[in-house]
Amino acid sequence: MPMKEIRNLTALQLAAKIKQKEISVTEAAKAALEQIRETEPALGSFVTVDEAGALKQAETVQKKISSGELASPLAGVPTAIKDNLCTEGLRTTCGSKILGNFVPTYTAEAVRNLQEAGAVILGKTNMDEFAMGSTTETSAFGATKNPWNLSHVPGGSSGGSCAAVAAQECFYALGSDTGGSIRQPSAFCGVTGLKPTYGTVSRYGLVAYGSSLDQIGPVAKDVADCAAILETIASYDKKDSTSLNRADTDFTKALTAGVTGMKIGIPKDYLGEGLDGDVKAAVLAAAKKLEELGAIVEEFDLSLVEYAIPAYYVVACAEASSNLARFDGVKYGYRAGGCEGLHQMYKKSRSEGFGPEVKRRIMLGSFVLSSGYYDAYYLKALRTKALIKKAFDQAFAAYDVILGPAAPTTAPELGKSLSDPLKMYLGDIYTVAVNLAGLPAMTLPCGLDKKGLPIGLQLIGDCFQEKKILQAAYAYEQAREWGLSPVAEHGAEGIHQGKGLLGRAGFSKQIEEQEKKEMESLQKEREVNA
Amino acid sequence: MSKEYETVIGLEVHVELATKTKIFCGCPTAFGGAPNTHTCPVCTGMPGSLPVLNKQVVEYAMAVGLATNCTITQYCKFDRKNYFYPDNPQNYQISQLYLPICRDGGVEIETPAGKKTIGIHEIHMEEDAGKLIHDEWGDCSLVDYNRSGVPLIEIVSEPDMRSVEEVISYLEKLRMIIQYLGASDCKLNEGSMRADVNLSVREAGAVQFGTRTEMKNLNSFKAIARAIEHEKNRQVDLLMEGKKVVQETRRWDDAKEYSYAMRSKEDAQDYRYFPEPDLVPLVISDAWIAEVKARQPELRTEKMARYKQEYGLPDYDTEIITGSKHLADLFEAAARLCGKPKKVSNWLMGETMRLLKEEEMEPEELKFSPEHLAKLVDLTEAGSINSTVAKEVFEKMFHEDIDPDAYVEEHGLKTVNDEGALRAAIAQVIEENPQSVADYRNGKEKAIGFLVGQTMKAMKGKANPGLVNQILKELL
Amino acid sequence: MEGFEKKGQGKGKNKISDETMEYVGILAKLELSPEEKERAKKDMEEMLDYIDKLNELDTTGTEPMSHVFPVHNVFREDVITNGDDHENMLKNAPEAKDGSYLVPKTVA
Repeated sequence: MPMKEIRNLTALQLAAKIKQKEISVTEAAKAALEQIRETEPALGSFVTVDEAGALKQAETVQKKISSGELASPLAGVPTAIKDNLCTEGLRTTCGSKILGNFVPTYTAEAVRNLQEAGAVILGKTNMDEFAMGSTTETSAFGATKNPWNLSHVPGGSSGGSCAAVAAQECFYALGSDTGGSIRQPSAFCGVTGLKPTYGTVSRYGLVAYGSSLDQIGPVAKDVADCAAILETIASYDKKDSTSLNRADTDFTKALTAGVTGMKIGIPKDYLGEGLDGDVKAAVLAAAKKLEELGAIVEEFDLSLVEYAIPAYYVVACAEASSNLARFDGVKYGYRAGGCEGLHQMYKKSRSEGFGPEVKRRIMLGSFVLSSGYYDAYYLKALRTKALIKKAFDQAFAAYDVILGPAAPTTAPELGKSLSDPLKMYLGDIYTVAVNLAGLPAMTLPCGLDKKGLPIGLQLIGDCFQEKKILQAAYAYEQAREWGLSPVAEHGAEGIHQGKGLLGRAGFSKQIEEQEKKEMESLQKEREVNA
Repeated sequence: MSKEYETVIGLEVHVELATKTKIFCGCPTAFGGAPNTHTCPVCTGMPGSLPVLNKQVVEYAMAVGLATNCTITQYCKFDRKNYFYPDNPQNYQISQLYLPICRDGGVEIETPAGKKTIGIHEIHMEEDAGKLIHDEWGDCSLVDYNRSGVPLIEIVSEPDMRSVEEVISYLEKLRMIIQYLGASDCKLNEGSMRADVNLSVREAGAVQFGTRTEMKNLNSFKAIARAIEHEKNRQVDLLMEGKKVVQETRRWDDAKEYSYAMRSKEDAQDYRYFPEPDLVPLVISDAWIAEVKARQPELRTEKMARYKQEYGLPDYDTEIITGSKHLADLFEAAARLCGKPKKVSNWLMGETMRLLKEEEMEPEELKFSPEHLAKLVDLTEAGSINSTVAKEVFEKMFHEDIDPDAYVEEHGLKTVNDEGALRAAIAQVIEENPQSVADYRNGKEKAIGFLVGQTMKAMKGKANPGLVNQILKELL
Repeated sequence: MEGFEKKGQGKGKNKISDETMEYVGILAKLELSPEEKERAKKDMEEMLDYIDKLNELDTTGTEPMSHVFPVHNVFREDVITNGDDHENMLKNAPEAKDGSYLVPKTVA
C-alpha cells in the first residue's frame, strides 16, 4: 500500500491491516517517519524523533504479532507521546530548558500500557512548557504551528500531539489535560481528544503540573480510535494513590448504542458573551444533528461557570509552585554555571531554566499559599471547586451529556496570545470546570470557521460516564456529512505552500450553509431596522 | 536583687520508625549502605514519581498514640511543607499539619515532687530528609538520599516541662514506650530519636509564657541537658539586660557548647502548607484502632508485674531489667531456655551491669545471645564450672559472644570432680602448710579457707569447691 | 506579609509592593530581572483582581474539596521492592561525586 494511503488510515484500521499482513509494522512506522521528515521543518510538533528506536520497536512488535503473542487492537500502530510523559532512555523535556537533557530511568504507566499493547513510539511531542499555556508557544523548543494554517497556533498545551495527529505524522498520540490541554488543541487542530475521569489513567510518570487536575488521555483521528486507546491506557495502578479501580473500561463496547432518548443539556452560560459566531453556529448545528438522531436536547443554566477560571488558576498554580520546586539543579536537569553558594545556584538555575509563563504561575502559586493568604485564596478556591462539583452533580441528575464548545474561538494567530495572559486564561472558560470536577470530556471536529480553521464540539459526561460521551460522539461522527481527514491531496506540499495540510474540502458545504444563514439573518436585521 | 526565673520547655521529638521500607516507596530503610544505593525515583524526587503510603507506618504511629493516651484522628490527611534544601529532594516534605494522626495525649513521669503528666499535643507522620556530607577542603557538599523517605513520627509535647530532669525523664519514658512497642529502636546517637527543644523563660509566678526559641541538632541526653542550661541562661541574661528574646530557630553546637541563630534572609520560614494532592485521606475505623490495640505488646508496667508474679523477681531486679527493652527480651529468652529466671537475673544484675558501666555501654549495645547466657547458667548450675571460671567465661561472652560450652571445652575449664586427683592435690597442700593444718586442728575453723584456696590454686581454679571442702575435712 | 494591600472593590484594587515580589521570589527561588519584575507585578495584580471574583460567591458552610472522589486508605505493604539503580539515576545529575549528588557547600 502506498505510504500516503497508509497514513490516511485510522489507528484501528491500520492495526487491522497489520494483523491481516497487508501492511507490516515497519512499513507503518516508515510511513509516519516519512511524513515527519517532510512536515516537521514547518510544523515543529516534535521535540524528539526517535527514528532508530521506532524502527527497532517495529521489528520487535512485528515478531510478536506474527507469533500471535500480541493481539491488541492497536498492535503495531506508530504513536507519539507528549513530552511530559516519562520514557525510559528517551529524553523527556516538558518543553523546558530546565529538563532539556533529562533522560528518565522509568516509563510512565500509561506509556507502558501502550507498549504492552504493541505501540511503536516515534518520539516525544512538543508542548507548552510544563503544560502551562494554551498555544504551545511557551515551549523552550520553539512554537508548534497549526497544520491547517501555519500562521496559527495549534492550541495547547498538548499542541504537539494534536498537530502531529492532524498532520498524519503519527496515527494517534497521548496528551495530558489539566485545564483543557487535550480538548482545546484537539479542537484547534480538527482531531478527536478525550480527557478521562480523574483517576482513570495512572499519573505515574506524568510530570505533574496540577496534581489534583492532571489526567492523561488520547488524541486521535476519530472516536473509535479514542475509545480503543483509552481502553488500553486506563488501568488501576498501585504506584498512583489517586488511581481508581474501575471495572467499566471496555469503552469500545459503548460506541454504537446510539443517542435515542439520550438527554443532552447545553449550558446557556456556554453560549454567551465572548463566543465566536462561527463556533456557536457549528456547535448548535451539531446539537441539532444529535437531536435529529433521537437525542433530547435542552438548554439549561449551569451556574458558576465564571468562577471556574479563577478557582482553577489558584488551585493549579498553587500545586504547580510546589510540584515544580524539585527543579533546582541538584538531581537532574539544568544547573546554572558560575554560582556562589547554594541559594544563588537555586535562583539562577530556576530563573534561567524556566520560561516567563512558568515563572508567572510559580510566583502566583507561591503567593496564594503564603502566610496570611492561604485561606483567602486557596481554601476559597477549594470551596468554589466543591460548589462547581455540586452544580455538575445537579446537571447530571437531569442530563446524560453536557454539550458545548471547546473554546470561545478557533485557533488564534501565532504571537497574539502571550502578551495578555489574563485574556489567554479566559480562553479556558469551557474546559477548566471539567478538571475541577474530575469529569470526563471529549472534543471532536464539528466544522470550520470562515478562515478555514477547525471548530471543536465538546461533550462532557458525569464521572465514570465516558461511555455516554463516546456513544454521543460516535453517533454524531457517523452522521456528520463531511469526511474527517480527507485532504491528503495537498500532502506535505500543502504545508510548504502555506495552505495547511488538511485543507477545507468536505467542510465547504457546511461553511456555505453557515454563511448563507448569516446572510439571511443579516438581511432580516436590515429589514427590521428599515 | 536578681529575679527568679522559671524555664518552660516543650519538646518536638522525631522518631524513625522500624519499618523495613520507606514511608512512600519500597526502598529499604537499613542503616549504612553506600550513598544513594537505597534510593528510587520516588525518594529522590524524580519528576513524575508518586508517593504511596506504607501501611505499617500508620500502624506504628497509631500504636505510639494509643500507648501515650492520645486520641486517634479518624479522618486524617497529609500536607506538603514547602522549603528548599538539598537534603529534601522534592523541596517539599510530606508531613501532617492540619489533621495529624494523634492528638491530646500525655505520659506520666516521676519528679522529685511526685508524679507529673507531660501533655502530648500531637503526633504526626512525615518523611525524613537525606544526609549532607560537607567536603572539608572543597566548596561543595555531597547529598546521600538513603535516609530520604525513612518514616518518622514527630511527637509534639505541650510546654509542660520545667527542668532538664523533667525533660530527660520524659524522653526516657517515651523511649521506653516506643522501644517496647517495637516501633523504633530510639537510638539518639544514630539519629533514630532526635529532639528539638522549645524553651522560654518567665518570671516566677508569671501567667504568660515568654518568647520561645527552638533549638535543633541535639543528639544525646547530655547535649540536650547542656543546650537547655545554656539557652536558659542566655534568655535570662537577655531579660536582665532589659533586652528581648527573639523568636527563632537556633542550632546547638555541642562541641563548642554554644548555639547560634539559623535564620538567614533566604529562609523565609513560610512553609506554604497545603493538602498533599498525591495522597488520599486516611479513614481509621474503630475496628482498626481496636485491632492495633489488641496487638500492642506488653508494656513496661505490665512486664514488671508479671516478672514479680511469674518469676518471683524482687522489685529492684524488675526495675533494672525492664529498664531496657533489649535487656528484658534477653532476660525472658534466656529464662525460658534454661528455666532458671533468678539465676539469669543475677547475671544481668551483677556482671552485666558491672561490665556495661565499665565499658560505658547502653544495654541496647549488648552483644551476647540469650542462648549463650542460658548455657552459662546451665553449666554453672550443673557444677560443670565453678563461679570463678563462670565469671571468666561470661566476660569473654560479653565481649565476643562466644559459645560457653565450646569455650569451656576448648580451654579445659571444666571443674575437676576426679576424687583421686583432688586427694593427691590436697595431700600435697596439707604437707606444704603445716601451720594452717595445726591452726585448724586447734579449733581455728577459718584456717580451712586458706587450705581450700591453696587447693584451688593448685588445681588452676577448676576444682569443685564443695568436693575440696569435703575431702579436706576428711583428711584433717 | 507586608506591602500587599487590599483596597476597596473595583478594578485595580490589588497592589503588590516590591518587597512582596522580593519575598515571593525568595519563597519560589526565582530571581527576576527588573523588567521581568515589573511585568510579573502587573500580571499578578491583574490575576488577583480577577481571582477576587471568587469573593462574590457565598461559600459559607461549604467544605474545601481537595479530592473529588471519596477514595481513602490506599496503602502499600511494608515489603522491599526496589533494587539499587543509583548509577543510572545519577547520570542525570548536573554534578556527582562518589555516588552522591554534588551541590555548592551548604554550611559556611
